[in-house]
This record gives sequence, C-alpha cells and structure tokens, in this order.
Amino acid sequence: MKGYRKYFLNKLAWFLVTLVCAFLLNFILPRLMPGDPVAAIVARMAQGMSNSSGVQAIYEQYTELFGTNKPMLEQFFLYTRNVARGDFGFSFSQYPRTVADVLSASIWWTVCLQFPAIIVGWLIGNSLGALAAYLKGGFDKVIMPVSIFISNFPPFGMAVLLMVIFGVNLKWFPTSGGYGFDLIPSFTWSFMWSVIVHYQLPFWSIVLIAIGGQAIGMRSMSIYELNADYVKYARFLGIKDRKIVGYVFRNAMLPQITGLALSVGTMVGGALVAEIIFSYPGLGSTILTAVRGQDYPLVSATTLIITLMVLSANFIIEILYGIIDPRIKAAQAD
Amino acid sequence: MANVMLEVKELTTKYITRFGEDVYAVDHVSLKVEEGKALGIAGESGCGKSTLALSLMGYYFAPLHYTSGEIIIDGRNISGMNPDEVRKSILGKEIAYIPQAAMNALNPTRKIIHFIEDVIQEHELYITKKDIYDRARKLFETLGLPAEVLQKYPVELSGGMKQRTVIAISVLLLPKVLIADEPSSALDVTSQKMVIKMLRQLMETGLISSLIFITHELPLLYNVTDDIMVMYAGQIVEKANSKEAVFDPIHPYAKGLMGSIIVPEKGLRDVKLTAIPGVPPNLKRPPAGCRFAERCKYVQPECKVHSVDLRELEGGRTYRCIFSEEQLRKAYQNG
Repeated sequence: MKGYRKYFLNKLAWFLVTLVCAFLLNFILPRLMPGDPVAAIVARMAQGMSNSSGVQAIYEQYTELFGTNKPMLEQFFLYTRNVARGDFGFSFSQYPRTVADVLSASIWWTVCLQFPAIIVGWLIGNSLGALAAYLKGGFDKVIMPVSIFISNFPPFGMAVLLMVIFGVNLKWFPTSGGYGFDLIPSFTWSFMWSVIVHYQLPFWSIVLIAIGGQAIGMRSMSIYELNADYVKYARFLGIKDRKIVGYVFRNAMLPQITGLALSVGTMVGGALVAEIIFSYPGLGSTILTAVRGQDYPLVSATTLIITLMVLSANFIIEILYGIIDPRIKAAQAD
Repeated sequence: MANVMLEVKELTTKYITRFGEDVYAVDHVSLKVEEGKALGIAGESGCGKSTLALSLMGYYFAPLHYTSGEIIIDGRNISGMNPDEVRKSILGKEIAYIPQAAMNALNPTRKIIHFIEDVIQEHELYITKKDIYDRARKLFETLGLPAEVLQKYPVELSGGMKQRTVIAISVLLLPKVLIADEPSSALDVTSQKMVIKMLRQLMETGLISSLIFITHELPLLYNVTDDIMVMYAGQIVEKANSKEAVFDPIHPYAKGLMGSIIVPEKGLRDVKLTAIPGVPPNLKRPPAGCRFAERCKYVQPECKVHSVDLRELEGGRTYRCIFSEEQLRKAYQNG
C-alpha cells in the first residue's frame, strides 16, 4: 500500500504541475492574438454614431470594464483571483452574457455528445479488435483493412461524408443544430425526439473513426498476448479457453486504457470539428466564435475546461492503471 | 516389472508452416517410462526435443499437428481422444508440463494463488477456495517454498523463485507424468541446482510418478535421470541408461555430443572437447538415408541410400546405425 500511495502522490504532483503550465498558456496565448477586441465591440455598439468623443467614451468604458487597459501581469493576477472564485468575467463577443453563462449553455452538449461517442467507439473497437485476433481468418481479413481505411479519415471528412449521404441525399437526419430550429428547449417528447435525431450524425461521425483506431490497436495487442508463454502453459494445465481468453483480453486491454485517455484528449482537437460542421451548439462551436471574436475570457475559459477534462481523464486512468496492473505499481514503488 | 506410466509407440508429429510445408520434427519416436523412473532426452538445439515434449501431451494446436502413433498414459490410450476431453481429463492431471521459458509462464496480472485456483477448479468442481489455499500452502511448504509467494504477483518473484513456483503449480494435481522442458536453462547455477533438487524431491516424495527431463545440458541429465535418449533431427539415435549414454555412447552422433560437453567427473578432466562439424539437415526435406550421414566421420556410401533402423542390444539398449557395436568401438579406438 505504501508503494501505491507514493505512486498516487507522484501522479498528483504531475497533475498539478501540468495544470499550472496549462493555466498560464491558456491565459497568455489568446492575448497574443493581433487585434483589439474592444474596438470591435465598440464599432458594433457605436454604429451610426458620428460623435468621436462619444465613441471614445464608450471605448474607455469597455476597456475599464474588461480590464484590458491594465498591464498584462496585473491582468493575469486579477484573472487568477477571479477564476479561483469561479468568476470567468464577461464574454467580449456575446456581451453582456458572462462566460459562465455561455459555457453552461454549451458544455453539456459537448459532454453528452463526446463522452458517449468515445466510450461507444472504444467498446466497439476493442471488441472487434479482440474478435479479429481470436477468430482470425475471414473476419480478421475484413475487419483489418476496413479499420485502417476508416481510422485514417480526417474527422471533418467523416462528418462531411455522413452529412452528404444521410443528411443531404437520403434526408434521414437533419444536417445542422442540436435540435429543430423551430423548437424551444423543454422536456417535451417532440423536443427530445428532435435532440435524438440531431444527435445521430455527429455521434456516429466520431464513433466510426474511434472504432477503427481502437480495433487496430486491440487486435495487435491481443495477437501478442495470445501467443504469450503463459497462454501455452495455462492450456497445458488443462485450463479452459474461455478462462484463458479472459486473461488475454484483460492484459491486452491495458494499453488500450491509455488509448481511451488519449481519445478524451482528441475530443478537443479532432472531434470538435464534428460540432462545427454540424453546427452543434457545444464547446466546439463556442470556441470557434470566441476565437473569431477575439473573446479572450471565453477562449481562456473554454480551453481551461478542456484542459481540465483531459488532465482529469488522464489522472483517473493512471490511478486506475496502478490498481489493475501490478507491474506498474512494482515499477513505481522503488 | 514396474508399472509403465507412459508408453509412446511410433509417435510422429509435424509442423505445418505458413507456406503449407510439412516439417516432421518428431519422427516415429517410441519410448517407455516406468513408475518411479526419470527419462532424459538430450540433443542439440533444433533436434526436436521440445516438440517431442509438446507432442507427448496429446493435445495439439497449430502449427503442430498429430500424424500417427500412440500415447498410452498408465494404460489409457489418449491418442484417439477428443482434444477437449484430453484437455479436461488428461492435461495437468495425468500429464503435466514445465515450460522452457518459465519466466513468462505466469499471467503477469494474476496473483499466484488465483492462478492456482483456476487450475484446480478446472479439474475439481466442488472445492472451496479455502481448501485450495490449504492444499497449495502445504505443497509449497513441502517443496520448501515460502507460503507468501501465493499472495504475490509473478513480477514480485525472482527468476529462480518463479521457476520453482511454476514447477509447484505443475504438480498441484499429482500428475503421473511430468515433462520438464529445459526447466533450468535460463537460470544461474545456484538456481539450477535448486531446480534439480526440487525435481528429485518430487520423485522421492511421490508427488509425481515419473519424469521426462529434456535438456541440452548432459551433466544435469546424468544427475537426475535413469535413462537417456539422444535425439537427432527428430529421431531417436541412441537410448541407454544414463551412465552408458554419457560415458560409453555407441552412436557416432551421441559420441560426438558427449565429446563436446564437459561432464564434471573424475578421469574426464583432461579430455579435449571436440565439435561436430556441419549443421543438422533441413527437416522440410529430410535425407533419404541416415540423417546424420552428412556429418558422420564414419559415413559409408550405403548410409545415404536407405533409412537406418534402430538396433537393439542386450539389456534394451538401442542405437541407430548400420555398423555393429564392435565395428563402432573399433573405429573409435582408431580415432
């Protein structure tokens, strides 16, 4: 148990170090973008105004409100203090909405889309890979090339392909939005049904790509484990195949769990593309509008949330890993 | 006459390669092991020793295939049996196996005791975990292994300990025949000695009824076994009691093999080591005549024409050569 506590503390320390670095970058990087976001807002507010001193007054009022007139270092400390209190400030581009407001409206769309998609893709992919390794022959010969083909699709390509086939040509599913544009979010059957229908294309565009990659990885890990010496020995002790297959897939699964953590990471990069293509009202669309509008607080907050999700997923998985694989603990104990 | 624990008659097995070629790695091998006896199998790398070990189990999976012959364990012929039946009622229980690479023979993510539970539950349906634990602990104590090992993962054990644990697991169900395939080849000399001691102990305490010990290290064989069989290119070339096989081999290959190895016995100290020139034949296309002919010092033209049968001498000693014992001895004296 002592070894495990050390392992845990070690992982926790790394988690915190990474978090601090990510927090810094989340603050600095958006602010290095060229251009002045306040000027853009003022231009919008002051449309038709000819009084230049009036425009100037509005500009100053906003810089004061957003704190963009202060030095970068001071801004950083203010930002840190506010974030610690759970206050992410106003969104520049969607003023007067606060960042918290914007995020709470979009984050659940992303979480509800991405997590099930990643888990489902992971489960189906691993099952197919394990089956391909175990059954060999024709099944393997079909699954492998198809997996390689599908996993190399860029996310936007898969999204566009599904959209064209099922949305545009077959008209089975709508091509954009999280729900029908003529509906108001509520717990009614018609709204729920609309959400489910709108869910399908973005969901499967993520799942399909995940399946391919996971299946390839699981297949080769399983083949390696199936030929391990302990499999032969267990057979010669008369142990049933069913039990041995249990050993093999548990061991083959270990690296795949890391794969799961990494795919939570890709949720940010590749998979958000699906949201943008399908105009899904999640974090992906939010981050896109935030970047376009030079909305520092919104960009920082969104990336911070994504960073936290990725780090937490990795942290949880590393902790689980230490529990399920005795070799990790043994290696970390000394 | 003592009970015959394992009798093998003309067993032939082959590998089928990816390209569909047949490789006869065990070619008409016959042997007999009596109760309380240990048989050694010697030969250079690639001669079919390990394949013979696998073939003796009576359970085959690709690329190894059964071709012909019989395996009789304690009077029960298992060669015609359904593979699932062999696995259920023979493997582990009647005939057990110690693999060559014991280092990797245990599932790395399973505690030793849990693996033992799997093994025993496979063969005895109504047994509680407590009974299994008690039995395992008793066995481990008998064999001088600490009981804490049971609660450990394989990674937490040293190489020698892992090997001895594997041996203990193999004899859990008191098999009639134990096949040890180079159980000591990956170990240091001290651990080797412990393994050898343990194998002897298994025989003495009656945990196993007979032993087949496969190795290329003849000094080890001489220490453990009663009889030694020398294999070459999938065939038996000589079979004799251990002393004769090591110090007085008849077959030119056996002679060469013994001459190339140090046996730490008196009088052998000054003997020069000699190597056998050449390499064994490719078993995809075995030669028509004697398989050793290409490398034999005493080769005759007729050696390469017909296959040579085993000759039996008085006392059950056998060898495979066209020459008589006297002719060979005379040839050895002349160098």
